[in-house]
Amino acid sequence: MKEIISSPLLTGMIVIGLIYIAAFSLIYLKKAYTHCLELGISKEKLKTVIKSSLFFSIVPSLSIVVGLFVLIPVLGTVWSWWRLSVIGSLSYETMISSSVASAIGFESSVQMLEQATARQFGVVMILMSVGMLSGFFVLIPLGKKLCMSVQKTENASTWKYVLSGVFMMCLFSVYVPVLLIGDTIQALVMVTGLIIAVVLGILSSRPGLKWLNDFIMAFSMIGGMVSSLLWVKLFS
Amino acid sequence: MGKNKDNGTMDSFQKWSHSWGRIGTVIALVYMVAIPFVVLSVFDAVPSFGEVFNVATFSILLIYIPVGISEAISYTPIMGSSAYLGFITGNIMNLKLPCAVNAIKLADTDQNTPEGDAVASVAIAVSSIMTVIILAIAALLSTRISFFFEIPQVKTASNYIIPALFGCMTLGLFSSTSSGDKVVKGGVKGVLPVIIIISLLALFVRITSGGSLFGMVGFLIIGSLPIGIITSRILWKKGIITVEDNPQVKKNE
Repeated sequence: MKEIISSPLLTGMIVIGLIYIAAFSLIYLKKAYTHCLELGISKEKLKTVIKSSLFFSIVPSLSIVVGLFVLIPVLGTVWSWWRLSVIGSLSYETMISSSVASAIGFESSVQMLEQATARQFGVVMILMSVGMLSGFFVLIPLGKKLCMSVQKTENASTWKYVLSGVFMMCLFSVYVPVLLIGDTIQALVMVTGLIIAVVLGILSSRPGLKWLNDFIMAFSMIGGMVSSLLWVKLFS
Repeated sequence: MGKNKDNGTMDSFQKWSHSWGRIGTVIALVYMVAIPFVVLSVFDAVPSFGEVFNVATFSILLIYIPVGISEAISYTPIMGSSAYLGFITGNIMNLKLPCAVNAIKLADTDQNTPEGDAVASVAIAVSSIMTVIILAIAALLSTRISFFFEIPQVKTASNYIIPALFGCMTLGLFSSTSSGDKVVKGGVKGVLPVIIIISLLALFVRITSGGSLFGMVGFLIIGSLPIGIITSRILWKKGIITVEDNPQVKKNE
């Protein structure tokens, strides 16, 4: 297994894949940015969006790095790096890392990394690569239809406006009760994030603090996460 | 605004995104699936079909498949044509979707409009590049920086990113409903049955096992969407949920 996870071939293929993903993102960025200008969105607003998105992405990306270090002992550096850079999601990849060893007959992930054969690691690689494709079987053929179903146009039925909001509302209607009722610490972290967002929202209306408005989500997310240390100490 | 709008259909960027985004996604997927097969072939270690797909490995697929389907159905209408890029770079709920929501709000645009899609695409592209760079640096310096990311406090805080995000996004949800030309009044009534059902389920699980439904969210969303859509449709037809001109936009005009 070790010869595969540290092979130059795997590293090379993954670097090429990441260059492709970065290029894909850059093309999207250029196309979307130009189109925003065509639609009359000012350069200043776009600058704010880019600055805020960059800043906002730092902390979740660092959380993904934490996940990277959870996965490295199980899957090696290169494969973990790849999995968290594309398709994969921090929560599901880390969940899988804990079950993958037992699924192929090992008692622990450490034992898997030490003793798994190349074929056994192959099973893990293939499973992780094909498993998450299920979403694309929906997105690729139905993505356009799903977007059109909620697209708000000048002559659209008012139902489209309602439907457009239902997806987001459903997401919140599931997550919020699960977080608030299911786990005390999760509930407290969520409420802390909300309170910080409200306070920052009020502060940002004051002269001189308007810039805060661009970073409300980022700051309240960081505040919520940091507060978890206190809540864990108090309630665990 | 609205220079390139194609009334009743999609604008030029959305059309581009749905065609080239789809092609780019297919290329990426083929490449992703090819990687293990190419590498394993070189090492003469391609496992048999039975080794990959059996009862033991089914547990892994059971995590992946429903989550993937649920994410595609529930997130695509929210992300619009930027969904292709979001899905290919992953980490949607903990990064891309909140980033898009934040950008749409900052640019004073509305979800599911040409402007909203273009702004969301800018945000998701920027975020994706940022994540690729940070992860590349982390992977390259993994032996030197691992100590920091293994500090218990850092690990603990990282576990709570989703609740922290939902705290601030809940506020954003209310303000985002008032952007755009129209505003939906009473939209939350359409998802009340979902809130009640999920709350009762969460309470039941908490009382009986002390656990949480957090790991089941993917399944719950997929089950909740039809309930939310049907209830909203009924209430919209009865005039309980209404769509009105946004007074804020009128005032600005």
